[in-house]
Amino acid sequence: MSDYAKPLPLVTPDNRAFWEATRRHELCLPHCRNCQRPHYPPGPLCPFCFDTGLEWRRLSGRGRISSWVVVHREWFASFRADLPYPVVQVELDEGPRLTAGVVDMDNDALRVGLPVEVVFRDVTGEVALPFFRPRTE
Amino acid sequence: MPTRIQDQVAIVGVGASAFGRSLPESQLGLAAQAFRAALEDAGLTREAVDGLSINIGWPLGVDYDRVAETFGLSLRYVNQSWTHGRFITHSLQHAAMAVHHGLADCVACLCSVGFTRERGILGGPQDIEGRREEGGSHGESPVYGLTSPAGGAALSMQRYRALYGTTPEQLATVALTLRRHALLNPQAIMRAPLSLEDYLNARRIIDPLRLYDCSLINEGACCVLVTSAERARDQAKAPVYYLAMQGMRSGREEFIFAPPGLGINQQTTGRVTPREADLEVYREGGITQKDVDGLYTYDAFSPLVLFVLERFGFCGPGEAARWIQDGRIGLGGELPVNTSGGLLSEAHVGGWNSIVEMVRQLRGECGARQVAGAQIMQWATVWGDSILFHR
Repeated sequence: MSDYAKPLPLVTPDNRAFWEATRRHELCLPHCRNCQRPHYPPGPLCPFCFDTGLEWRRLSGRGRISSWVVVHREWFASFRADLPYPVVQVELDEGPRLTAGVVDMDNDALRVGLPVEVVFRDVTGEVALPFFRPRTE
Repeated sequence: MPTRIQDQVAIVGVGASAFGRSLPESQLGLAAQAFRAALEDAGLTREAVDGLSINIGWPLGVDYDRVAETFGLSLRYVNQSWTHGRFITHSLQHAAMAVHHGLADCVACLCSVGFTRERGILGGPQDIEGRREEGGSHGESPVYGLTSPAGGAALSMQRYRALYGTTPEQLATVALTLRRHALLNPQAIMRAPLSLEDYLNARRIIDPLRLYDCSLINEGACCVLVTSAERARDQAKAPVYYLAMQGMRSGREEFIFAPPGLGINQQTTGRVTPREADLEVYREGGITQKDVDGLYTYDAFSPLVLFVLERFGFCGPGEAARWIQDGRIGLGGELPVNTSGGLLSEAHVGGWNSIVEMVRQLRGECGARQVAGAQIMQWATVWGDSILFHR
């Protein structure tokens, strides 16, 4: 796994807990203690009510594909073997949308509205990435 | 009551370099061509220029300080944004505001790009957009191989298709129309006709975008000179006046390449009809969409033309793909768009090639491409900013 050549996430003070959670194979987001809403991307305060009291909570991991693309052009040598590869945006049941890859499905099966659930891939010793796979309702 | 810009400021000179792929000149060399051409067009010397407004800097373009140093200018007003095509309206607006408030007498808006040389910026490991905090400003996610502004435009178009049932043939109308415009333009890079079959058979870049849905990659420079209406009266050519402006929108309901309500990133999903607050530019200008004789927009990707039409209320949400059919956005149609061929078929000069074209149209200089009786024209973008110009 130390020869993982693809780009790794940029960890910041605001999103560190997200990537620590994925290492535990959990999908977590900051929730506002005041209005209870989770937000993405993780920030220093609640973008909805502007309260600064945030608490990281685990999400269900469930959502639906809200958009998708299939990359045909080689932009990264490290993705060459995957071409043509999909990237999806998933609308989580809790509301926020997340961009990620998919597993266990062909490109032909991609559709907006498809129910999915999160799974995790350990790509290095320190990093696990969320992916989504189809689920039955 | 804020001071209105109407008829206070004008564009008095436009110029361009040659447009082409792998041109030998540097970005500064092309900028010099465009700047000198604009000065000649305006009948001005470089001493008249005391302001500079730039939106594409090094390494893709040229920075204000290198321009000032290289061209031997003496500036008292400078505006430069982060290197990005999205700031074209910003650049023109800041030029107008600087002149209007007396911070400068004459501002040059200069855009010079070397996309062929700096191709890496457009996608892949050298696409620094993807490394911005929390991901790229087009929704990039290099972790999953999603890169390039094309990635964001593709996400938007896929969702739009799913919501509204747009077919590839409908979307093709954008590329086909702008190619027809380019064929009437000797400066355009694309010189061959484009058929629907050519469009459909071309390779996919990032589904659902095909080759001809994506802008050209080339070198080129444009320059626009902005001065006060009072000074403009001394110029030989008819000034093109600013009529009204509105600024760039931003927030959780905004995604750079989507109209509000499409549901990309954190946008709420819904059929959003623009409210009066979204259409300040028409209210300020005392006109409606029906008075616009030509629309110019940032067409880096063909879906952006659909989205700007909906954003500015030329048609309702989800209607643009049908609305553009039957020649509506072509020369001779109800609303000609990007009459010199745009980024899709003329050249990618950050959209400035369309600003230059709009000015020439309002002056009546466009020959075979001339929109008859052009009086009012609009520059507008998917991210909500706009300027109305008139003669």
